Amino acid sequence: MAGHQHNFDPHACAEFNHLSRRQFMQTSASAGIGLTALAASAPAWLPRVSLASSHRSGMRDVMISLYLRGGIDGMSALVPYGDQYYYSARPTINVPSPTSGAAQRAIDLNGFFGIHPGMANLMPAYNNGHLLFLHATGSTDTSRSHFDAQRSMETARTGDPNAGTGWLGRHLASITPMDPNALLRGVGIATGLQKTLAGAPLTLPIPNLDNFGITGSAGTVIARSAVLDDLYEGTTDPLKTVAFNTLQTIDLLNTINFSGYAPGGGAVYPTTSLGVALKSSAALVKANVGVEAIAIDVTGWDTHNAQGVLTGTFNTIISDLANSMAAFYTDMLSNANNPTFAMVAASEFGRQLNENGSAGTDHGYANMMMVLGNCINGGQVIANWPGLGPGQLFQNRDLNVTIDYRSVLAPIIQNRLGNANLSTVFPNFTPQALNVLRC
Amino acid sequence: MLASPHLSRSVSRRGLFGSLIGRPSAGYAAAAAALASLASTSEAEPVTNSVEADPNALLNKLIRRTTFGITQADQARAVQLGYAAYLEEQLNYLSIDDSAMDSRLASYTTLNMTVQQLLALAANQVTNELIEALILRATFSKRQLFERMVEFWTDHFSIDINVQLCRYLKTVDERTVIRPNALGSFPAMLHASAQSSAMLLYLDNNTNIAASPNENYARELMELHTLSVTGPYTQNDVREVARCFTGWTFGAPGSGANAGVFFFNSGTHDNGQKTVLGNTIPAGGGMQDGITVLNILAAHPATANFIATKMCRKFLGENVSQSVINSVAAVYTSTNGDIKSMVREVLKPNNLATDYGPRHKRPFHHFVSAIRGTGSTVTATSVMRTQLNAAGNLPYNWGPPDGYPDTLAYWNGLILPRWNWGASMATNAITGISFPVETFFAGMTTSAQMLDKINAAMFGGEMPAAERTRLQQYLNTNVGNATTRRETVGLAIGAPSFQWY
Repeated sequence: MAGHQHNFDPHACAEFNHLSRRQFMQTSASAGIGLTALAASAPAWLPRVSLASSHRSGMRDVMISLYLRGGIDGMSALVPYGDQYYYSARPTINVPSPTSGAAQRAIDLNGFFGIHPGMANLMPAYNNGHLLFLHATGSTDTSRSHFDAQRSMETARTGDPNAGTGWLGRHLASITPMDPNALLRGVGIATGLQKTLAGAPLTLPIPNLDNFGITGSAGTVIARSAVLDDLYEGTTDPLKTVAFNTLQTIDLLNTINFSGYAPGGGAVYPTTSLGVALKSSAALVKANVGVEAIAIDVTGWDTHNAQGVLTGTFNTIISDLANSMAAFYTDMLSNANNPTFAMVAASEFGRQLNENGSAGTDHGYANMMMVLGNCINGGQVIANWPGLGPGQLFQNRDLNVTIDYRSVLAPIIQNRLGNANLSTVFPNFTPQALNVLRC
Repeated sequence: MLASPHLSRSVSRRGLFGSLIGRPSAGYAAAAAALASLASTSEAEPVTNSVEADPNALLNKLIRRTTFGITQADQARAVQLGYAAYLEEQLNYLSIDDSAMDSRLASYTTLNMTVQQLLALAANQVTNELIEALILRATFSKRQLFERMVEFWTDHFSIDINVQLCRYLKTVDERTVIRPNALGSFPAMLHASAQSSAMLLYLDNNTNIAASPNENYARELMELHTLSVTGPYTQNDVREVARCFTGWTFGAPGSGANAGVFFFNSGTHDNGQKTVLGNTIPAGGGMQDGITVLNILAAHPATANFIATKMCRKFLGENVSQSVINSVAAVYTSTNGDIKSMVREVLKPNNLATDYGPRHKRPFHHFVSAIRGTGSTVTATSVMRTQLNAAGNLPYNWGPPDGYPDTLAYWNGLILPRWNWGASMATNAITGISFPVETFFAGMTTSAQMLDKINAAMFGGEMPAAERTRLQQYLNTNVGNATTRRETVGLAIGAPSFQWY
């Protein structure tokens, strides 16, 4: 069965999925008695079905992809306070230097870059060497269009507007499952699957992991599910595969008590949609059911107007992002037996160097990235800083790209996600060597 | 969503599937065989496979593609008039008596208010009426094609009402930009949109001033409203167009009758010369600068191609041929963007008879089509709106300015809210929506009769035999029971062929 997953066509798996689901139902039934004993000693949020950690092979990280949609102003997050032109271009929209004495000022990282004060809760991860910052990163898409730039970055097939699969989707499709019995390998916390994950087998968009079940009478839900199961067996893909994946995922997620999940290490997640999504993701990852990738959208970054770097919109959402990431980090590293992970936060483009007349910033080019995880070579800023001065900008207005985002992801895909087929994930691309990993 | 059945359900479902696998009943085996047969013959479009051969099937397809869900009343009218006359009636929508709809909306007083009046109200009253009116119109208006075009342009000129005052201003945008022009003139709609306070606010043009332009509206005007991202504009054009629109703004809240009303502020306008797409716009043009830009964009072949492409994909399928798109773009050019003429070209019988891929209902479309097909009544929509939001398709709530996606690839993954809409709506578990099961199945006693009714009312008579067989099998478990009948209709709403139009 495992070999089946080598198939690159996600729609070809319906028959397999169907069989798998029915086998799962039978397995669950036969395992039911033994699990009662397990449940007595295990935390309540652990799966009640025996998809035990012994199924998990190797030491792969779970990939958490955070997409910062709208184009985050990376220079307000990872602040190049050492570049004099930053402050001249941003007279009213800037984060003061760490040495400025301002009440709200950047937290120094390396004498040139600092982070926004709202990101203070990420400093433990940085100081522990688990959080890496990069700057002047981006893709080869120079359109300054949200939609073009997102599509380009998520599909990693620049110049192909019809690319139907995403880089993370192709990754999952081109390796054997981490857990050969997995019913769900990828999740998009979304109502429509992100292009990043398109093409991934056993992958669904699930807006709320804690609320995924069939409504109506409890007395007939089994019979009605069986009807749906049969109806969709008779139809074509993609709905056929989606329906089977959905039915088996309902069963799978029902074995995990998300609402009762207790984070480790005293981690406190924000009650925002991002905080909830990451908390549920931690519960799902720790449940060891074979999920290998989770994609989460973080929105609100298209700050053309009243950006509010220190006291408004940007401050609110950058703090939420940092606090949510920090809670996930604390939670996942609270126990050495927890699965390992790699989390990447990226955005379609950065914003123009000069602020506009609306106390905001328009679309630009290069941006910062954040990478967090057990084996990330953190505690540093990787940048080949092109400068913000005259003659140094892209098209005389934007921070230029000096690190392709794929070079950041490539070593993670190869060494932490166990995929030797980098050319499948990133066609026609040779990554630049970067010190992204320490193990 | 009910959470209660989880534990008990998972136990008993195991038993059920175990028995199905171990000892398949004769009925199950027959259904499986029928389903397998269907799978082997069904091609890309599950609903109909023989559109070309059967004129009634083509008429059905016209109804499905131009409504929010086929009904027996639509069918009767289309059969009575024939393809061409039915389409013309829908295109000439003002000739269709929709007074019942108008009466019904009379109490939705915010729909006709000025911004000043709206601002005195709670925002949620305004947005609730806005969305509820859209739901009611999509469901019950006889001007179905017009409502589909309202949907189309609402996506094209998308505005997220969660952005500041857009929750008030969108009501005016809907009334003055979208509805008057939805089957009218594209250039007129484009000009109206450029003076829509909701759009100016949403894309930040209200703060676009000479001293330091804001490019947001200028970029999306070209990328999303006219030329498309593949259009022939550069970053320099974005900057120049932004300069042309400096000073296009609206009265601030608190400015009395001027609140939220468009005006051109010459004091913040950049009066210098500009160059847009190679055209010189002379200095001192004032507000004419922006008008000139809109005229250039509306007349551009890239705009004709972009609008034609989106329209063809919506009505004909995502794989529509470039030659059909070209013919519709040519109509755009020859009629100066007359939308009615374009839609007429799109819906030529030969175009509709060609298989350009199936059309997948978005959640809003699916939910509304279920209400229409079952003859359900709507007295409140708050729960429905919550469900639409959970499905990712609450009107006016798409954040980015590109509008809700209209592709199968985006929507196909989240099927559960569709199943649950059927399961909940048909059992009257959605407050404000009532499925009259007694009326629906009036005078019927056998499951065969009831499946005939489901097929005729909800599927235009085109329900695949295998789906019918399996649903009948479920209904037969307790055909005399009203709840079982409701659940069967709910499953029909969740069935594969009900996901397409």
